[in-house]
Amino acid sequence: MSAGAATVAGVELGSSPAVLVARGLGRKYEGFKALGSLSVEVQEGEMVALIGPNGAGKTTFLTIAAGLLEPSNGTLEVGGASAGSLAARRLVSYLPDTPVFYEDLSLGEHLEYVAGLHGAGDVGARARMLLERLGMESWGESLPSEFSHGMRQKASVALALIRPFSILLADEPFDGLDPPSRDVLFELLAEARKGGAAVVVSTHRRDVIAAADRCLALRDGRLAYDGAPKPDAIAEFFEG
Amino acid sequence: MRLARRRRFVGQLEVMEVVYRVYVAAIFGAIALALIAGWVNNAGVGAGAVADIADKGPALIGIVVALAVFSGLRSGARGGPLAIEAAEVQYVLLAPIDRRLALRTSALRQLRIAVLAGAVLGAVGGNFAFRRLPGSPVEWLACLAAFGAVVPLLTLAGALLASGRRLRPALAGAAGALLLSWSLADVALGTKTSPATMLGSLATLPLQGGATAAMAAVGVAIAAMAAGLGLASLGGLSLEAALRRASLTAQLRFSASVQDIRTVVLLRRQLASETPRQRPWVRLRAPRLAKHPVWRRGWQSILRWPAARFGRVLALGLLAGALAAVAWSEATPVIVLVGLVLLVAALDLVEPLAQEVDHPMRLELLPAPPAALIREHLVSPTLGMGVVVVLGAIAAAALGFASTALGVGAVMFAPTAFVLLCCAALSATNDPYEFLLTPLLGYLQTGLPIAVAILATSAPVMAARASAEHGGSAAAAAAGVELVMLAIAVAIAIWLGYRVAKRTTVQP
Repeated sequence: MSAGAATVAGVELGSSPAVLVARGLGRKYEGFKALGSLSVEVQEGEMVALIGPNGAGKTTFLTIAAGLLEPSNGTLEVGGASAGSLAARRLVSYLPDTPVFYEDLSLGEHLEYVAGLHGAGDVGARARMLLERLGMESWGESLPSEFSHGMRQKASVALALIRPFSILLADEPFDGLDPPSRDVLFELLAEARKGGAAVVVSTHRRDVIAAADRCLALRDGRLAYDGAPKPDAIAEFFEG
Repeated sequence: MRLARRRRFVGQLEVMEVVYRVYVAAIFGAIALALIAGWVNNAGVGAGAVADIADKGPALIGIVVALAVFSGLRSGARGGPLAIEAAEVQYVLLAPIDRRLALRTSALRQLRIAVLAGAVLGAVGGNFAFRRLPGSPVEWLACLAAFGAVVPLLTLAGALLASGRRLRPALAGAAGALLLSWSLADVALGTKTSPATMLGSLATLPLQGGATAAMAAVGVAIAAMAAGLGLASLGGLSLEAALRRASLTAQLRFSASVQDIRTVVLLRRQLASETPRQRPWVRLRAPRLAKHPVWRRGWQSILRWPAARFGRVLALGLLAGALAAVAWSEATPVIVLVGLVLLVAALDLVEPLAQEVDHPMRLELLPAPPAALIREHLVSPTLGMGVVVVLGAIAAAALGFASTALGVGAVMFAPTAFVLLCCAALSATNDPYEFLLTPLLGYLQTGLPIAVAILATSAPVMAARASAEHGGSAAAAAAGVELVMLAIAVAIAIWLGYRVAKRTTVQP
């Protein structure tokens, strides 16, 4: 790490002022172009709403940034490190659209495990706080197989937030949550942003978009809009 | 945490059920071994055959080893051999820790299990080998156990290397093909230069001289080195491939546990990225077939097969012929494998019918009785299966049984193709949940098509051999058995139509 590098949410960034930098990013699936030459930067502490119709390339972009998918062309760097590299993984927390769990670990054990893998040390208090706020405090000892769809989503949120990160990539995190839980998640995202982390949320919800600093709209794998989340400017992305 | 997970897994096991399963497996294993041992014991191997095995055996066995490594490399290029849980990918492999270390435990466990299983199988083979071939029991047991352990080690090492080094499927295939060609060259030239042939030498070591032991040791060293390199490159695993594999293997395990062979076939194809071609090899323009849309649909399906499936089915035909030749002349029990191999090919060929059954709503909306439609679906695949059986006969003929193989093959190809197709259709239309509460009936349902396929291929060949041994006509004896097989096939075809019609909710 270079001298004077920024530290966000307890994680040291590289020399780049932007926490996420994509240059000419593209991804093809057997003849189908899911993402075509996308160039975008996300700054520290910025909340970005990623919008676009189904199949626009939102999930593809997020999974490439998380390091789960490799780009067919272009580059994506997180904190100056290539997406998926050891350094980038320290900085990125990814909240997938479909929650993923070990079927043989309780929620509490999941939290402990994930935090441990990220060197977060003793996170007992933070785990309790997250579970309490998400209304899951009595489910810490339960296995994921006992959870309803919404509970799985809330557990997944807790797992994404239990560890330190400088950028949170959340793929439609509000889906399946009841209104109180949506409010809590909203607060948690705001707190993460206040802590200096960037938050990129893929969503179709107008209230989330309105609260974002910036809106990125994708259409057919291309960046169709990049700017303030003005209702007039983004209205076309909500039409059939 | 891994220890805690292991403890929880063990804690969830029903001890009595595990003991019962081991007990049942031990009983059936002992019975099978006793039967095979008795069968094998009855035949003796002459001095000429022993010399042949010592001379050509290493290279021929080397081809099998090369094929195993080939499949390992292809599997590795698609993200195999490790089947990692989706959660492990999400939380461990995305964590800032060395992926090589994170994956090492799983890789070592997989290697350990494969090596142990291979060694046991090899030792079982050694138990039969020393009864028929020169050499002490200890020599055969040790050599074949070592061979059984090293082959899966090398196969998995190839897969780990291909996956860790991110070899493209084409490159992995080329590397496998190169090794296979090397082994084929060894067979053709009578040399022992390929690493696969060196391992073949290990399998026949009790028949070889001292110099061969050094060669076998080199083969083992190469396998061990490959395994080391494979483990060292673990960290390069593609997460995309790992996630895809995680989801598919979980489904595959479940399908296998409920004996849902159709789903297993579909998932295996997905694992192998075996998708139909966007453009068919040949566009069907035959106007006559327009009157038979079901037949046409069948050919259209086959003409969209990817090259790998064509290659596999044709190779299975050739392998079946080679196995039939071995069963005819040397090891009778091998005949069981002929039916199994051809049934695997038939499961590919029966795809159009299986697709129809997979989409019952479409079937119900068609203006034709489902039973007639299903029976019509047997036509095109049966013709395709006929080609596979003919290939088998040609392979057997090439191995030195020219007139007999071609004569028996000519009698067998049409009825056998039909029976095998019917067996595959029966398997593809089985409802795995029909007998969930009566597992014995479930096993019967799964086992019946397999048993009939084995009977349909072994009975005519064995009858032909018995007739030939007594100076009779092999082809005539096979024809007599085939009449019975044909009757069985017709009965299955009628039953198939009835079964599918019974499942439809819209009655005519």
